[in-house]
Amino acid sequence: MEAFSAAGSERGVVSSGMMSAPVVSAQAGSLTDAQIKVSARDIRVFYGEKQALFDVSIDIPDRSVTAFIGPSGCGKTTFLRCINRMNDTIDGCRVEGTLQIEGKDAYAKNVDPVILRTRVGMVFQKPNPFPKSIYENVAYGPRIHNMAKSKADMDVIVENSLRRAGLWDEVKDRLQQPGTGLSGGQQQRLVIARTVAVNPDVILMDEPCSALDPIATAKIEELIDEMRENYCIIIVTHSMAQAARVSQKTAFFHMGKLVETGQTEEIFTNPRDTRTQDYITGRFG
Amino acid sequence: MAEHTVKAFTEELDALTQEVARMGGLAEAAVNDALSAVVRRDTELAQLVMQRDARIDAAQREVEKRAIKLFALRQPMASDLRVVLTAWRIAGELERVGDLAKNIAKRALVLNQAEPIQLTRSVDRMGKIASEHLKQVLDAYANKDVQAAIAVWNGDDNIDAHYNSLFRELLTYMIEDPRTISSCAHLLFIAKNIERIGDHGTNIAEYIHFLVTGEEIATQRPRADVEAGD
Repeated sequence: MEAFSAAGSERGVVSSGMMSAPVVSAQAGSLTDAQIKVSARDIRVFYGEKQALFDVSIDIPDRSVTAFIGPSGCGKTTFLRCINRMNDTIDGCRVEGTLQIEGKDAYAKNVDPVILRTRVGMVFQKPNPFPKSIYENVAYGPRIHNMAKSKADMDVIVENSLRRAGLWDEVKDRLQQPGTGLSGGQQQRLVIARTVAVNPDVILMDEPCSALDPIATAKIEELIDEMRENYCIIIVTHSMAQAARVSQKTAFFHMGKLVETGQTEEIFTNPRDTRTQDYITGRFG
Repeated sequence: MAEHTVKAFTEELDALTQEVARMGGLAEAAVNDALSAVVRRDTELAQLVMQRDARIDAAQREVEKRAIKLFALRQPMASDLRVVLTAWRIAGELERVGDLAKNIAKRALVLNQAEPIQLTRSVDRMGKIASEHLKQVLDAYANKDVQAAIAVWNGDDNIDAHYNSLFRELLTYMIEDPRTISSCAHLLFIAKNIERIGDHGTNIAEYIHFLVTGEEIATQRPRADVEAGD
């Protein structure tokens, strides 16, 4: 069985107190180094004096979808934003601990956060296409990173990216029209195409479907399922049903702590921690 | 456990569990009455058991209807999912228990027209054990008592052992006096039905284990009825 582990914890250990390791469900084993894409150890995040994350340690596997769930303010988005160093852009925000992507320290002095963000793409809650044509939205990243030698090269990148995002057939005849003219679901897929155009390893999605109708949501979920063959995908979602549908692994955050991680199937049928249980069954007051 | 934020969800789950418990009461009564009809040669009671089986079938449909509604409207997860799933499965087991009780009652009608035979007492003893098992497992369900469920699960050997011993006794009887063959054959089927009621009790015990712990009972239960066939 494909494994998922919360780093540094014994299996099935129930956490208590601030410094303890999260619960890892019984079905989860250890990941080998080759399977681990993102590895976090004791990540602590402070907004000024206020601590938002407490010692989060987790290994996130490649070619798999991992869902972060938890109530608002639990720290799941804060942790997500540590992975591509989006928190660097917030004044007074301090990140401690180690975060490695493919074994390399993402916070090392010689790492350029802009380059890092091409490797770790992000899709936001609200689709945010640039006020440019569909073509230019996708071509923008590859162009600034000099990924295409010619117009023909760029055409290939744009087409492949739009295909990967499941949007090509819908937009191939109107590539020069503005991206903002697309429907909400199409805009979100355009943003995904823009993200994959620069060949990222990791794709972070922060509630990518919360502004979409069920049909557009289903298309994005189908896309996520296809994309997991090639990427490490991490999705933050408030929809438990969505986490259950799209992810292979689930991590539950509560009050700035990682409470429990495990196979999604296990988390949604037999969670170990009472807090996880209460949250996913709708018992949180 | 804490209540759901949406209180109607808790109420619907409770109502589902109560409907299964009520169904359990009906099935338990059917088994006891069917056995009494055999032992006391009570034709009227046997007919009553047969008529009442429709109530158990209706209760099963009610449980399924409520479960489907919960799946569709509430999308139960984790322990809630197990509550709905377990109710569904237990209702299925109890419906079979009802059918077996009805079959025992049917055979009581036939037996009551023949000469009484001694062995009905052995059947009675075995029936009492099975009936007690059913009661205990339904109590374990009502109390979500996994230890009590495991005790029932382990105790099924006792019923199987009785069945084996009765099987041998009935064979001896039939060999000694071929005129009893018809009645003994009916008693043998009754004993088999009782043994199956025990099996359904065991299944329910397994579901209770899953309901409470989220895990299947790990080990294979030893079986003692190999000799008499399955």
